[in-house]
Amino acid sequence: MNATYIQNSIAQLKTEIFMDVRHRTLQKYTGVPVLDENQLFYLLIPFLNGEEWQQEQQEAAITVGIVYAALAAHDHIKELDATSKEQQLTVLAGDFYSGRYYEILAMSGNVALIRNLSQGIVVRCEQQIKVYENEQRTIEQWYASMSTIESGLIAQFFDLYSFGKYIPLVEKSLLILRLEKEWTAYQRGQMSLMGKALEESVRRNGATFNSVIQRKIVHLKTELSQIINQATFLQSDIKQALHAHVEASIASTNG
Amino acid sequence: MEKMKLKLLYSDLKSDIDIIERELEKAVDSSSYLINDASLHLLQAGGKRIRPIFVLLGAKFGDYDIEKMKDVAVPLELIHMASLVHDDVIDDSNMRRGRPTVKSQWNNRVAMYTGDFIFARALEYITKLEDPLVHQILARTMVEICNGEVIQIEDKFRLDQGLKDYFRRIKRKTALLISSSCELGAVAAGVDAKTVRHLKRFGYFVGMSFQIIDDVLDIMATDKELGKPAGSDLLQGNITLPILLLKDDPEMQPYLVKVFAGTLTESERQNMLQYVRKSHAIEQANRMSDKYLKKALQEIDALPKHPVKKKLRDVALFMGKRKF
Repeated sequence: MNATYIQNSIAQLKTEIFMDVRHRTLQKYTGVPVLDENQLFYLLIPFLNGEEWQQEQQEAAITVGIVYAALAAHDHIKELDATSKEQQLTVLAGDFYSGRYYEILAMSGNVALIRNLSQGIVVRCEQQIKVYENEQRTIEQWYASMSTIESGLIAQFFDLYSFGKYIPLVEKSLLILRLEKEWTAYQRGQMSLMGKALEESVRRNGATFNSVIQRKIVHLKTELSQIINQATFLQSDIKQALHAHVEASIASTNG
Repeated sequence: MEKMKLKLLYSDLKSDIDIIERELEKAVDSSSYLINDASLHLLQAGGKRIRPIFVLLGAKFGDYDIEKMKDVAVPLELIHMASLVHDDVIDDSNMRRGRPTVKSQWNNRVAMYTGDFIFARALEYITKLEDPLVHQILARTMVEICNGEVIQIEDKFRLDQGLKDYFRRIKRKTALLISSSCELGAVAAGVDAKTVRHLKRFGYFVGMSFQIIDDVLDIMATDKELGKPAGSDLLQGNITLPILLLKDDPEMQPYLVKVFAGTLTESERQNMLQYVRKSHAIEQANRMSDKYLKKALQEIDALPKHPVKKKLRDVALFMGKRKF
């Protein structure tokens, strides 16, 4: 397996997701659904590692991708320009994608995954809304929220299909990527609300955002490398691919 | 007065409705105090709970067990609630049922997350039922409702639409979920296919009649009764039946021009409402609602003999003649 094979697998998953949520009007005003290729890569890790992956697992992966797209659409809702057609249809795009993931799983009778994903969405919403709650939270609590937001739904899917051993490496990888994104945004003065809340917690602790985030990223990367190296279930080429992801993110962190 | 009538109508289902109310509160319980506050804010705003009522009435034709029926009734009301929260973001509405909306009490994002949370809880709840048919019916309904909302946005401020467009829109906006409530209650209670079909059609016709009345009330009721300014639908660009019936009326046209340009003053709004209220459009719209109501009653006639038929008729008649 090489980088091209991985890219093709991600591209195919993306295409299948787009096909399943195709909607002329929504696409015209809101564009194609927002999908994070990193999330799709980690969503496909068991497949890329040669685990049993039939039509059922592929369909399940598609619906996880659709749920991420639904929630990402709603993350784009703004306070201003509230009645623009784009904003109105972005609300509906999220709802439509949610309806479609449910419909796909209902048609194949996969009630267990409907349940797991619903539970995942519930927890994700509870974490997303934390930034609006007037509660002082610790740095570690914000990391936990980010981790849930990034990887919680993939974990729900893995859990159902006995891919649980992949969860720690996906959680760590996606948290690293989220923190790197927040760090880059911090430098540009464009942090997310949760990034700002994290920064506030760091400042309350008398530390600097830069040093705390960098330390956390390095720490997570060390832990991740250990997990990958010690994972006997991972094939050597997938280990290489996972290491390459880590290396790429180290390179980007070091600028 | 109207609310009293409704309570009386529901009186023999009261204990089951109380169970559903308690379950609704449990269903929206969250580890986030903000989601709890927003959800309870919604629940306390009340509502007619017509979807749960139709689930229960549909189920009466089969093996009625409230413990099972609540697993259908609660999610349907939750889906309705969640869609209202998102609708208020879409319409930028500040008031609903006389109370501030979630988006105005908090903000758009809080409304989005609360709506998503409630949607997800609804689906989590209904997965207590393993029958794929239940999920297929509900999922199709949810997608169609969404399609209807997309069409509604496309049709906003458009006068080059006909009655067909309007009926297609209200079918998806309202009638489908009521129809599915009747159908799902019956399916979950193991009712035979023929009866399910009649109940589904009954719900559809009642839903159509209900929405036409809702659109008439948006013109006829006072701001106080509505809990928002009368004529809000039109002010938001939604062309409802009474307006559609008057779209070519020369006296109505200057008002429409101003509504579409966003320049209608408060006194002009009052004058416009007075004009529509006295016009033939209200009577015509009421007649169309009655037509659907009549069809709903015909569906009841086709149902097997059962004491609950009278209740279905009473609820349908109430909904088609209500004043709020």
